[in-house]
Amino acid sequence: MTAEQYSRLSEEEVLLAFSVEPTHDRKTLEQYLREYPEHAKALAACSIELMVDATRSDDVAVTSEDAVDRAWQRFQTVVSQPGDVLVTNPFAMLNPTAFKSLAKKLDINNLLLIRLRDRAIVAATIPRRFVQRLASELGATAESVMEYLQSPPAMVSGHSFRSSVKPAVTEQISFAEAIEKSQLTLAQQDALKALQD
Amino acid sequence: MPEPLKRKKKDGTSYERPPEIEAWLKKLETVEVAERLRQFATLSRKSLGHVPSEALVYFLRRAWAEGMQGDFEKIFRILMKRIEQSLCSVISDSRMAGARGIREEIMDRFAERIAKDCKGRTGLLDFYEIRFDKAFAAFRTSALRQIGPSVVDMVPLGTNEDDGLEISAEVEAAAADFLGGDPEKLDDPAFRLELTAAIDCLPDDQKQVVGLLLQGFQIDSKDKNVMTIARILQCDERTVRNRRDRASKALKAILQKENAL
Repeated sequence: MTAEQYSRLSEEEVLLAFSVEPTHDRKTLEQYLREYPEHAKALAACSIELMVDATRSDDVAVTSEDAVDRAWQRFQTVVSQPGDVLVTNPFAMLNPTAFKSLAKKLDINNLLLIRLRDRAIVAATIPRRFVQRLASELGATAESVMEYLQSPPAMVSGHSFRSSVKPAVTEQISFAEAIEKSQLTLAQQDALKALQD
Repeated sequence: MPEPLKRKKKDGTSYERPPEIEAWLKKLETVEVAERLRQFATLSRKSLGHVPSEALVYFLRRAWAEGMQGDFEKIFRILMKRIEQSLCSVISDSRMAGARGIREEIMDRFAERIAKDCKGRTGLLDFYEIRFDKAFAAFRTSALRQIGPSVVDMVPLGTNEDDGLEISAEVEAAAADFLGGDPEKLDDPAFRLELTAAIDCLPDDQKQVVGLLLQGFQIDSKDKNVMTIARILQCDERTVRNRRDRASKALKAILQKENAL
């Protein structure tokens, strides 16, 4: 691995490399902090976690298999995805009925869900708790849904329409703006506003 | 012979498993598959014959490479059970709001990492064959930074004050005395263990300040080349001092309570 490749290491990769160091003293931490200043806060948090982790006991009895089953299903989904798909569209498998039903479950309307699907909303403004709920209903991880929402807004194909102007990607709006402009009921708007981080 | 790790260090050399893990792998390679799976199923670390998770990761990857899907699923489930057990301790229902959802999300993310490793994309699982618990703590830290609650619910004393508020000179002096005044006491392994466990009860912002202090970092410095806590956490030195003082007050209360029991 070249120095250039190293400079592009993700936060997770840097923390993993740090975690397997023989010691996690000040000298090691300082070395990583100087090498990866962009991950300074994560490295500090990780070094403390490694320090306190040794005092924890994990002899907690877990009786249910639910979480393990869920993880197995997640594994099977990801492992069967084609190799060249980098960011999966979690909405791709939904037919119109399932799409409407999803909107209902989230207590939002189709218009807002379409805006989310088409990435017409600035991902950073979407409350974390809402992304988690959306991911849970879609049977995906919040991470993969966020990854999809963060990718550039799409010009959705498969929709036919006539227009005198060239179709273009819609400009993204904030989640707060989307709540106001999506013809939601007041109760729905209030519930979504309460989810703000 | 166990297959060497592929992941390279910055200096170009390959990562290596610790000798004790290599010894486990060599020993387990001589055991029948069914017996090996039986041994993997021992969950408690305290049990005799508990196989380290590093070895489970090795045999999990090997089962996938050899197309042994049934064995792969069995090892996957045992490994995930261990992970869930460890997460239940760190992210317990009494400690964090929405703990169950957070635990499930972390497990799902780890399942994705395994899937990507099976597809030969990342090689990140090499780290888990070296020091599983440490690597998983790193993975968990990164995940929690993205999805965890911003405030840990289990906060021993009032900590909702604004970082900008001034702390009295008396409290500041007491904090400095507690965290830095008695190096001999901090060198005592029993006290340090007790203190570390108490630190785990603090909110994240205070935990980081105290942890960095204990590692020997200073709060601030005029010398720009010195790595200070204020620089690491990218905040004002007054904020660091305030967090330290609140942490100190909370730690005293926790330790006094522990010792009174």
